[in-house]
Amino acid sequence: MFKKAAFLVLLVLPFVACDKNDDDQAQQNTPVSVGFLHSFYEDEVSVSSNTIQYTNGFGTSLSITRLRYLISQVSFTNQDGIKTIVKDYHLVDLSQDNSLTINDILLPPGAYNLKMRFGFTEATNTSSIYPDLNAASWNVPENLGGGYHYMQLEGRWLDPGDTPDEPYLYAYHTISAVQNPGPENTREDTSIEIDLGEITVTQGATQINVNMHIDQWFENPNLWNLSELNGLLMGNYTAQKMMQENGQNVFSLASNMGD
Amino acid sequence: MIQKILFIFCLFCIAISCGEDDNQNQGYSPTPVNIAIPAILSQLLPPPEIPINNPLTEEGIALGRALFYEKKLSADNTLACAGCHKPDQGFSDQRRYSIGIDGIAGFRNSMPIVNIAWNTKNKFNWDGSANSLEEQVLEPVVNEIEMHNTWPNVVATLKTDPGYLSGFEQAFGTSTISQELVAKALAQFIRTLVSADAPFDKYLLAQATLTPLEEQGLAVFLDENRGDCFHCHGSPSNPLWTDNDFHNNGLDEDFTDLGLGDISGDPGQFGLFKSPSLRNLAYTAPYMHDGRFQTLEQVIDHYSEGLVFSPTIDPLMKTVAQGGVQLTPQDKAALKAFLLTLSDPSLANNSAYQNPN
Repeated sequence: MFKKAAFLVLLVLPFVACDKNDDDQAQQNTPVSVGFLHSFYEDEVSVSSNTIQYTNGFGTSLSITRLRYLISQVSFTNQDGIKTIVKDYHLVDLSQDNSLTINDILLPPGAYNLKMRFGFTEATNTSSIYPDLNAASWNVPENLGGGYHYMQLEGRWLDPGDTPDEPYLYAYHTISAVQNPGPENTREDTSIEIDLGEITVTQGATQINVNMHIDQWFENPNLWNLSELNGLLMGNYTAQKMMQENGQNVFSLASNMGD
Repeated sequence: MIQKILFIFCLFCIAISCGEDDNQNQGYSPTPVNIAIPAILSQLLPPPEIPINNPLTEEGIALGRALFYEKKLSADNTLACAGCHKPDQGFSDQRRYSIGIDGIAGFRNSMPIVNIAWNTKNKFNWDGSANSLEEQVLEPVVNEIEMHNTWPNVVATLKTDPGYLSGFEQAFGTSTISQELVAKALAQFIRTLVSADAPFDKYLLAQATLTPLEEQGLAVFLDENRGDCFHCHGSPSNPLWTDNDFHNNGLDEDFTDLGLGDISGDPGQFGLFKSPSLRNLAYTAPYMHDGRFQTLEQVIDHYSEGLVFSPTIDPLMKTVAQGGVQLTPQDKAALKAFLLTLSDPSLANNSAYQNPN
């Protein structure tokens, strides 16, 4: 009994002593979440579906049965130029709701430049070193350069006039571009830096949404002909470079989605 | 400030009032344990995800092991979990369909249940019908063509056994047996079923070499233009040898079993089934969700030239228009040789997994 009373007295002291610091700390950091939204032109894409309901810039109708992609180096740089990396990497999977948001970010209120990277840089794209990505079968075999996928975008497609009975298949997979697939391959960094511009973190919870414009993967600057490039793309260096070019304008801040 | 002092005073009162209850719980102290994780799994995979409300304990695992081999879980005391998940058959069943207590065959092949602790997607069964292992183990007991029992009857039966009364007391601090605690104990034991001592594991650990044929088979497995097996079935970097996801792998034009689509109701998921691990193929024939293939040769032939189109076929079945990836006879032989290096001969005789009853 005496011990418990003494313990509680000791408990009181830090409460009093830490009072002011606690308040300061509470004002310094505020929670921030980064959400990932997806669209195909004007249509929101919230679930993967077997339904052929989108038409790309080439005029090909398609479905999106799977969309997974890797974001790395999510950073906030304040106006003093101090950069805080809040997440080393994050796998977004359209079929897993809990993957669509990066939580647990704490930052002081203020203006920041938000950047992230699509895929891994060469320095960080080392085979087998990320256990959670291994368990997710996100790896790229060594004969294709090793490391990890950047994106798996899959579905079915139809050309104009085709019947929907037997659509074709596509697997738009992006990785580090590889030349000479096989034991003597050479790999080239085709990850994409995404500069999302300035955002403001305010006191209280701040939600920032980033939108992937899926349609852009098929359009800008390379109009994508799925009848020519629909699968076996991992070892196709030219296709990987084209994907990298098309990925430059895929991401933007979402100003009016999900807020 | 006054509020804080009042808060502390309340805390003080609670501390005093809780003293007696604390003493009542002193007898419940199951021993926490961690899964023994083989080197290759600890190197490449995240730690297993153990539910907070069902931590592994020595007593819980021992109880679960006894229950796994307990025929009293079935209505006529003739069938245990181990009756369809046999240690010497990769914790699967070499019969195409397991036979329930009434002599009725099921309609899917028994799934192997090793390395389940790493199923981070928490979808269990061929059709993803269970969202946790604790949920999964409940169903076979009441399934009419499996154990055909009722949970009240199971609980009543186990209550008559002093050994189980003691076992539940030791594992969970109560002798009040319930289906939830039976499920927890079974799940604890099943999470300890780990297989990672195959020749290929030794190869990855630089403790063994592959034959030239096995190396060729690995190359076929990892070649997007030939086997392209790695997208769904892991790789040397993913020693689970499954993505724990659901796919239509081109078996049928029309479905008699809707698989995942039967659970979700989504026509876009008709005919999708979970990718099984490729571990222990030497012991887990027949293959596919319905056990239609008796041999690995038949499985490889299917992917090589037997694919058929259906509306939900997985986009990774890129060569369906040609019937498959068109492997040469040499590629097929090599692929089979490699696949067999994933079988773990130590699994069947692991003393921790045997019948304790």
